[in-house]
Amino acid sequence: MESILVTIPFGDMIHYLSGYTVILFAFAAMFILLAVISLPEKPVDIVFGTDGYTLKETPKDLSRFQRFMAAACGIATIGAIVTGDIFNFTLFAAFIGVLNIGIIAGVKNTHVLSAGFSYGLVVMMGTVPLFAGAAIIAASTGTLSIWELAAAGGVPLVAKLLLLIGVLGEGMAPFYIGKAEITRASGAPYILMIHVSSLLLFLRVVEILMTV
Amino acid sequence: MKEERSRKNCPAETAGGVCSPFQKLSGYLSTIENLPKLYAICVCLIAIFGLCSVPFISYEEDQLYPKSLDPSSSLDPYDRGGVPFTEPAVIIAQYPENAPALGYVTAYLTPLSQLLADYTLHLGTTIVAHPGGILDEILYYTRGFDTIVEASILFCAFWIAAYLYRRSKE
Repeated sequence: MESILVTIPFGDMIHYLSGYTVILFAFAAMFILLAVISLPEKPVDIVFGTDGYTLKETPKDLSRFQRFMAAACGIATIGAIVTGDIFNFTLFAAFIGVLNIGIIAGVKNTHVLSAGFSYGLVVMMGTVPLFAGAAIIAASTGTLSIWELAAAGGVPLVAKLLLLIGVLGEGMAPFYIGKAEITRASGAPYILMIHVSSLLLFLRVVEILMTV
Repeated sequence: MKEERSRKNCPAETAGGVCSPFQKLSGYLSTIENLPKLYAICVCLIAIFGLCSVPFISYEEDQLYPKSLDPSSSLDPYDRGGVPFTEPAVIIAQYPENAPALGYVTAYLTPLSQLLADYTLHLGTTIVAHPGGILDEILYYTRGFDTIVEASILFCAFWIAAYLYRRSKE
C-alpha cells in the first residue's frame, strides 16, 4: 500500500492511514462515484389548485460543470482525509472551500447565490486562521508532520483553536446552501457533495486535534 | 426587508407577544447574512486570545529550513552551496526518506544567470523575476505536493470565474 502511495516523487506526500481515516476514505470515494454517475435532478413545480406543472431542465454544460466540481471536491476531501502533513491538510481545506462555491456558482437562483456569497465571505475569512494555525505549529514545534507531532506533542492551544475555527469556516456550507431542502435544492444531487466534504473535514480535524 | 424576516422567524412577536431570548437567538442565526459577522467575531476573539498567549509560546530554535545570510554572495538569501549534479547542497528535508536526490540541482544556473551572478550581487533578489535562476528545491521537491495543490486551487477558482463570465456573455 505504501509503495503505491509514495511512488510519485513529491517529498511531502505523506499518508496518515488508520482504521478511522480508511473508513472516511471509503465514504468519500463512494460519494465521488455517485457524483460521477448521477444525472441532474429535474425539479417539478406543481401549479397550485390545478393539474398543471412545470419541469425545470438543467442545461448540459451546467451539469457537466457541477459534476466536475463535485468530483474534484470529493478528491480534495480524500486528500484532506489521508494526508499526514498539517500544511497539506490546510491547503486541501481551502481547496474544498473554493470547490463548494463552484458547485453552486452556476445555479440561477437568488436565494442560493446570496447564500453562496455569504459562504464565500466566511471562506475568505477562514483561510486566515487556518494558515495562521499551521504557521504557529511550524514555528513552535519545528515540524509539520502529524506523525512527529503525535509522538512529541507540544502544539500550543491557540494553534489548535485557530485550526478548528478555520475548518469551521471552510465547512460552514451546510448552514447555508441546503437547509431543510438539501436533496431538493437547485443543483441536486451534486450539492450533496458539499455536505459530505464538510462532514468529513470536521471528522478529520477532530482526529488531528486529538492526536497532536 | 431584514426586519420583516426577523419578525417572520419569531411567530410570537407577530402575534403581539414577546420573544424568548432563545427564539431571538435562533431567529438571528437563521438569517444567513448575519453569519459572516458572527464568524468574524469568533475569529477576533480567538486572535485576541492568541495575542495574549504569545508570551507562553516558545519558538523552536532548531528550525527545519535554516537560512543563512551572506552579503558577499551574489545569490544572497538563497545561497545553499553545492556543485550541481556532483556535490549536494545543504538542505534539510522534512521527510528525507522521500527525497533521495536532495540538493543536487539547486545550485544550477543557466549560462545567462551565471553571467548575471558573476557581475552583480543581486541575483538572489530576482529569483522569481527571470527564468533559469535558482531552482528552489525546498519549494518544488521537498514540498512539491503543496505546489501542486496550490496550483489546483488557482485553476479551479479561475475556471469558476471563466465559466460564469462566458455564460454572462451568451
